[in-house]
Parts: sequence; C-alpha cells; structure tokens
Amino acid sequence: METPVQLQTVPSTASHGAVVELRLGQVPLRQMVELVSIDLPAHQAEPLLERGILPGCRICPVRSSPAGDPVISIDGSLLALRKETAACLCVRLLGQLQDAG
Amino acid sequence: MQDETLSDSGAAVQGALPPPLVALVGPPNSGKTTLFNQLTGLRQKVANYPGVTVEKKVGKVALPDGRELELVDLPGVHGFSARTLDEKVTRDVLEGRVEGFRAPDALVLIVDSTCLESQLMLVEPVLELDLPTLLVLNMSDELEERGGRVDNGPLEERLGVKVVRTSARTGSGVDEVREFLAADVAVTQPAIDAQPRTLTNIPRGVALPMVDAFTARRARVREVVEQACFRPPGPSDVSERMDHIFLHRVWGPLVFLAVVVLVFESIFTWAVPLMDSVELVVGASGGWLTSTLPDTWFRSLLVDGVWAGVGSVVIFLPQILILFFFLGVLEDSGYMARAAVIADRMMYRVGLQGRAFLPLLSGYACAVPAILAARTVEDERDRLATIFVTPFMTCSARLPVYALLIAAFIPAEPFFGPIGKRATALLGLYGLGIVAAIGTAFLLKRTILKAEPTAFLMELPPYRIPSLRSLGLRLVDRSGIFLKRVGKVIFTVSIVLWTLTQFPRTELGPPLIEDSALASMGHVIEPVIAPLGFDWRVGVGLVTSLAAREVIVGTLGTIYGIEAAGDESFALQDALAEAMTPAAAIGLLIFFAFALQCMSTVAVMRRETAGWKWPALQFVYMLLLAYAGAFVAVRIF
Repeated sequence: METPVQLQTVPSTASHGAVVELRLGQVPLRQMVELVSIDLPAHQAEPLLERGILPGCRICPVRSSPAGDPVISIDGSLLALRKETAACLCVRLLGQLQDAG
Repeated sequence: MQDETLSDSGAAVQGALPPPLVALVGPPNSGKTTLFNQLTGLRQKVANYPGVTVEKKVGKVALPDGRELELVDLPGVHGFSARTLDEKVTRDVLEGRVEGFRAPDALVLIVDSTCLESQLMLVEPVLELDLPTLLVLNMSDELEERGGRVDNGPLEERLGVKVVRTSARTGSGVDEVREFLAADVAVTQPAIDAQPRTLTNIPRGVALPMVDAFTARRARVREVVEQACFRPPGPSDVSERMDHIFLHRVWGPLVFLAVVVLVFESIFTWAVPLMDSVELVVGASGGWLTSTLPDTWFRSLLVDGVWAGVGSVVIFLPQILILFFFLGVLEDSGYMARAAVIADRMMYRVGLQGRAFLPLLSGYACAVPAILAARTVEDERDRLATIFVTPFMTCSARLPVYALLIAAFIPAEPFFGPIGKRATALLGLYGLGIVAAIGTAFLLKRTILKAEPTAFLMELPPYRIPSLRSLGLRLVDRSGIFLKRVGKVIFTVSIVLWTLTQFPRTELGPPLIEDSALASMGHVIEPVIAPLGFDWRVGVGLVTSLAAREVIVGTLGTIYGIEAAGDESFALQDALAEAMTPAAAIGLLIFFAFALQCMSTVAVMRRETAGWKWPALQFVYMLLLAYAGAFVAVRIF
C-alpha cells in the first residue's frame, strides 16, 4: 500500500524499533551488518537492488581499496562500491563474522 | 513422450521453418560465453570481467540426432529494466522486438552457482516469458571445492524447469544441456507449467523500480534457495590473499603501474625478434618475386605496390598479438576488475565512472569494440562521455605508425634504468592520449554532458588461471581480423596508390614519383600541412589513413618503395629518417595520437549515438587538437 517510489523510507519489515543511523561507510572491516534502507533516489538505487543489495540482506565489508572505497562480501560474491554509495546505505549491526581469512 | 511430440511437430514444419532459436541469458560473468563456445564451437571473447559480451552472437548447435539449433548469446544482465543498452538489447531480443530477429523459442538461463541467491533474481522475469527453459548452475565444481552445495531436485520442483549443473570451463554437464535442447526445444507449446505470475513489472513495458518489488522477489528466491539446501561456498582463500596485495593501499597502485609498464616494455622488446623475422620473410619473398617475374608493370604493381604496402603493416602483427595476449591474461585472470577499482577514483574525478575503465582499456586494442563495450556504462551521459574519449586511447592501429616513426627517429639507447628511450617515447604517446582523454572528459562533463554522479558497482570475480586455449583462440581470431583488414583496406589502397604513381605516363614509362598524379594530389594539401613540417608524401598518407591509421605505413611504404625501386636493401625507416626532420616526425606522432583517422570508429559512433552529431563533433574536435598539437610540437622540438 505504502510502497513508495522513493526509497528513503525504511521498509516496515526491516525496522526494529528505533532506527539506528548507522551507515555502511562507518562499519569496521569484518563486521557483519544487515541493510535497513537505501538512502538514494530510485534511479541510483536500482543497480544496487538488481545485484541483491536489498533491505534485509547481509553485508560484510571485507576490504578497502587503495582509495578507501569499500569492498563488500554479499551472498558469496565480492562487490566494490564507492564510499559515497556506502555512505547512503543504512545498516544495523549483526554478529562478528567468523574469521574468514 | 517428448520424442513423439518432437517428431510430430518436427514433421509438420520440416523445411518450412528455420531451426528453433534458443537464447542464452544470464548475469555478466556467469560463464555464458564459455558455455556458448562449448555448445557452438564458435569463437568469441570470453573474459573474467563483467560486461565483455556486448555484441549479439549467434551460433549453430549440432544436436546428437543430427538436427540443428540456433543459439544466441545475449549480453549479461542483472535485470531487465533496460537502464543500460545491454539490458535493453537483451530485453528486446527476448521479447522478439529486434528487427530481423525472431523471438526465441526456448531459453537457457545460466547462473554462477557460487552466488546462487543473487543470481536467481533473474529467474522470475525469465520464467514469465513462458518458454521452455533450462536453468544451468554453472561453476558447480568451484561451488563444491569451496564447500558449498545445492540440490537440483527441489529447484526443479519449485521453479518448474529442468536444472543442470555444469562447469562450462571444463565442459562437464554440457552434454546434458545438449540433451535438453534436443528433447524440449522443438516443442511448440511451452513444456513447463508456468508458476503463478506474482510479478509482471520487469520484462513487459516500462516498470518503476521499486524497492518493495525487489525485496519481495528476493524473499521468494531465498525461500527457493533454502529449499534447495543451498549452502554458499566459503571465501576463496587464494583470492583473499591475492586481493590483499592487489588492492593494498601501497602495493595495489604499484602493481597496477608495474603491469602497465610491463605490457608496454614487452611489446617493444619481446616483439622485436618476432618482427624481425616477419620482416625477413616479407623482404625475402619480395626479392624472390622480383627475381622470378619478368620486368613488367605487373611486377612493379605486385612488388613495389602491394608487397611494400601490405608487408610494411604485416610486420606489426607480433606486436599487436602481444598486446592482445596481455589484455586477455588480465581479463581472464580477474585482475582487470581490480584494476578498474583502483582506477575508479581517478575516473570519478574527471567525471567518468570506473565502469568506463573496460571500454577505455579495450580502446588500447581497438576503439570499435571498445565503443560497443561502453554499453555497460549505466548512465547515458557517462556513456556518451566515455565513447567520445575512447578514440584517444592508443589503439593497436596507431602502433605501426608509432613503431615506424620511433624506430626511425629515436635511438635504441637506455634512458632510465632498464627502460629504453624508445619505450619511454611510446609510453609518452600513450600518456598523451590519456591526458587528452581526461581533459576532454573533464570538459564534456562540465559543459554539454553535465550530470549527477551515478553509483559505481564492480563485481570482483575470484582469480582464475587463464586457460591457454581461450587465450590462443582469441589470438587466432585477432590475427585473422588484423590480416583481413590488411588484406582488404591496405591491399586496395596500395593498388590505388601504385596506379596513381604510374601516371601521367612519360615516353620512358612511368613518371618520376615527384611528377606523378599522386604527387600532384599530395601537393594540393601541402600548404595546409606545411606548417607542421610535413611534405606531400606524408600528406598523401594522412589522406589515405583516414580509412584506417595504419594505412599511412603502407602508403609511405609504397611511395618510398617506388622511389627506391631496384634498391635491394630498401628500409622504410632509413628512407624516412632522411626525408623528415625529427621535429616533424614528433609532430606526426602527436598528430596521430589525437586525430580520429579511422572510418570504422566514425561508423560505429554513428550507430551507437543514432546520428551524425556526435561522430562529426568528435572528428572535428580531434582533428583540431591533432593539428594544434603537431603545430606546437614542431616548434618546440
């Protein structure tokens, strides 16, 4: 019903009480997080959605590029983002990832 | 049962209809092209890099029972929103909206099973097409090696399609794909019961991208994947460790630089013995022709015209092959994606995105496939900016020109440590192209192509050892294309040029070259190029090389070859070194670094921008830059 074309709103399924304003860019390496919402206009969010970066998905930053852009692990594959994009991904903390290296 | 259906419908349509068309769909990098090659035997570019398959590829599949099918390899896509040209092409083919291309009769959806969940996001829209469909779980060997698993049964049950596990690289499971094609494809009615359509937004018409639609779809996919007992593979240890170096803050950029230097140094050192041997063969065979054939106009045409023209370009084949070999290794190994990540920050600053890195790097081989590869650039303005600057990348057609002039005018002396003066000059020219591209992109994105930045996403595939077979096939392909080009364009130009040198006839036969029709034509444009220090010979070369850059080498080979007719030890380099000043040579190098001397590029630009505006603007802009660059260079050096 309240499906917005804009994506700024927090989907009801993923919100648990107070929204924690944590962005992916602030998450330390190897900290598993769950995506809460994408703070981007629809046309910019679409490629993210298509690649499975969706509210509710689990993301773990595993590395940062020489320029400080994050490389994330999502669903068994590695994806490089820009830090500008990472700053638009609202997340909440999950448990620490087991030592992957 | 299926066989009966087959023979029934087969008998009814035998001879009346073309063979059934099967479309191969899948996300980028899922092994689509590798499977395509396995099935058809057709050669095509395969690379460990998202977005390489841009052109529509069609091949024939021979079935075990002797029938034939047509298979089309569609561009890799993550969805069908038609946001990128690749997605649009794929969607249009699937919907049967491509002119002169009928809608497919069946589909093969191939996914990388190591990241099954996100890859299966394509399965719903594909099933909505209601065609016989096979789901191929590729890279299943890798999945198992890394401790993952998946069961076919529940997948087949839930999705209502056949599921086959393959490893397209090794060829395992490919026979089962063939069996599916043989059994199910000629059936006219959809062989599967369509699942209830829960989503209709994606393949049909315009769809609003909505987060909830995607989230709901993802939840259904997750359920399916869980029922199939899918366990994602553990991280690839080797890839982890390699990324630790290749994406390291210090080592990453250093490795990046070292790779670039290695490529350029090697095409100028390793290639030399190979080029020398080709030159030897060309020279010896030309000499042999001279001594066997009677002294007629035909011998002159063949030896002085065609042999000198074509031969002077063929000797660059080894160099071009070495470049393609390196590009192939970089792509197939997975390093190219890392290089794109490292390059992205810089590209972002000049207004391009990291995805433009592949087209721009491909531009070092040839601008035509590079401009096609730019279809994966998701934003239209970004794409236009990318293809506008792509011809500044030093394509392999410039190499013969650079190689000739550098060898003629720059001594083979060490310059800086192990790097020679010649390699430095070459690197400088490559650098010049990059600088021009950056400046132009910067300018474009601040004027006519102003746009908001778009998200940059780059899949980093696991590192893989490139297969020698795939590299070898590609090299054979490339040399074929190169030689065909030499055969057609340069052969024709050589003959036309030779003819122009034979008229007007004098009492003794052909005129001196200075009095020939060709020279008169060259003299017409001489006033324009005289400020650059070029004479009429170079002028003729500039005109003929409008067809393709390397033609100037053949042209100069023909002109100087005729001038030196009879001289056994004729070498174009020596002739040039006498005829031109070093400053003019540097001017000519810079002219070629900038000018859009390539009709194929203009043609593909027209196609990719649907009009003459962009190619015309590009041609004039690059020509002016070339003229100005050469003008300045002649006065500095």
